[in-house]
Amino acid sequence: MRKADAENKDIFLLDKTKAMSHHIFILSPTDTPLYSLTHYSSKPVQSTGSSLSSNLPSWSTSAFAGTLTALSGASSATQHHTSGGGGVRVGGGQDRHVIQMIANASLDAIEEVMRRDSAMYLKSVDKFNEWIVSAFVTAGNKDMKFIILHETKNDDGIKVFFNDLWELYVKTAMNPFHTAHTPIRSAVFDSRVRASAKKNL
Amino acid sequence: MATTSKQYKAIGEDLWKNKTEKINAELFALTYGALVVQLIQDYEDYSEVNKQLEKMGYNIGTRLIEEFLAKSSLGRCADFKDVGEVIAKVGFKSFLNITPNITHAQPQPPTSPTTKSQSTSAGASPGSMFSLTFDDNPLAEFVELPEEVLEGGLWFSNVLCGVIRGALEMVQMQVTAEFVSDVLRGDETTEIRVKLIKLLEEEVPVGDD
Repeated sequence: MRKADAENKDIFLLDKTKAMSHHIFILSPTDTPLYSLTHYSSKPVQSTGSSLSSNLPSWSTSAFAGTLTALSGASSATQHHTSGGGGVRVGGGQDRHVIQMIANASLDAIEEVMRRDSAMYLKSVDKFNEWIVSAFVTAGNKDMKFIILHETKNDDGIKVFFNDLWELYVKTAMNPFHTAHTPIRSAVFDSRVRASAKKNL
Repeated sequence: MATTSKQYKAIGEDLWKNKTEKINAELFALTYGALVVQLIQDYEDYSEVNKQLEKMGYNIGTRLIEEFLAKSSLGRCADFKDVGEVIAKVGFKSFLNITPNITHAQPQPPTSPTTKSQSTSAGASPGSMFSLTFDDNPLAEFVELPEEVLEGGLWFSNVLCGVIRGALEMVQMQVTAEFVSDVLRGDETTEIRVKLIKLLEEEVPVGDD
């Protein structure tokens, strides 16, 4: 247990100097991931180290040591990838698992909010320790879901980003060479999403 | 009755504004895109798809020219340069609402002045050509070519080449029209080169081959 704690401390220290990261997912109506991106914002992060340990009772520290490591280290170790698929990517290790888990868990929350609210931008639907999940569902039977996991509140920027993402998605969908509900591999789409993320997040 | 470039422009504008029925551009682009994708799935060979697109264009062109001549009531072109001007400023404008830029070229090596006097009444010598450069292409509105298509050498808008070839053949000019570059393939411009092969004698119209 002590080892795990020591590990966590180290990573918390690292965390304070790490930039804010956002994990972006695009899901099809059947909840298949079609696109994902990890974006590192250049804005500095507030220290989150202490809040994490205070959230969890001491007995859980060891049991969830792996998760803690993943959560706190998630922003430093994850790598981005542009294709969908539920598998873990190289270099992400455990971290990617946790992010995927949080994203999947939020789907229920999204559907609940969808039932209540008919708007497209669903704002933040879920919270997991320090990760906030914001969602956006597209018009027309609410089929595509865009999810962002982020650490700090940024409703305006995220709203603009979601709208940009929606436009880019529609353009890609209109490409005759793109088959609906398949992973999006277009390099143009990827670079534009990154540019929008850089601008708004 | 030399018509200047400006006059052609005006004719083209007028035709587009007043005498053309319009359809939704997105619908048009999506229809063409679906067509190309289907051809790719059917033939699985990109050069074959290019050929088919050109053939389709040829069939369209042979019919399109009638409509064009009826609507525009333009007379015979003085020379091949004129042909290019009319196609760019009146033809493309009235059907697609785009005006490609045109550059003329005469790749014939300069010979003695007698060659000029030998020109036929149409004033066009075989080998003359012009290039049409497109700033935007309504057929390729949302299109992004994936890797294998790029490597396969598909000319997405090849139907346009066929249209030009078919239309000009109906007015007694045998030409080749082909793409030289295409922004969809990563080139700087989209360019079609049209080259005159020969002038056809007036003959009894034959059915489509």
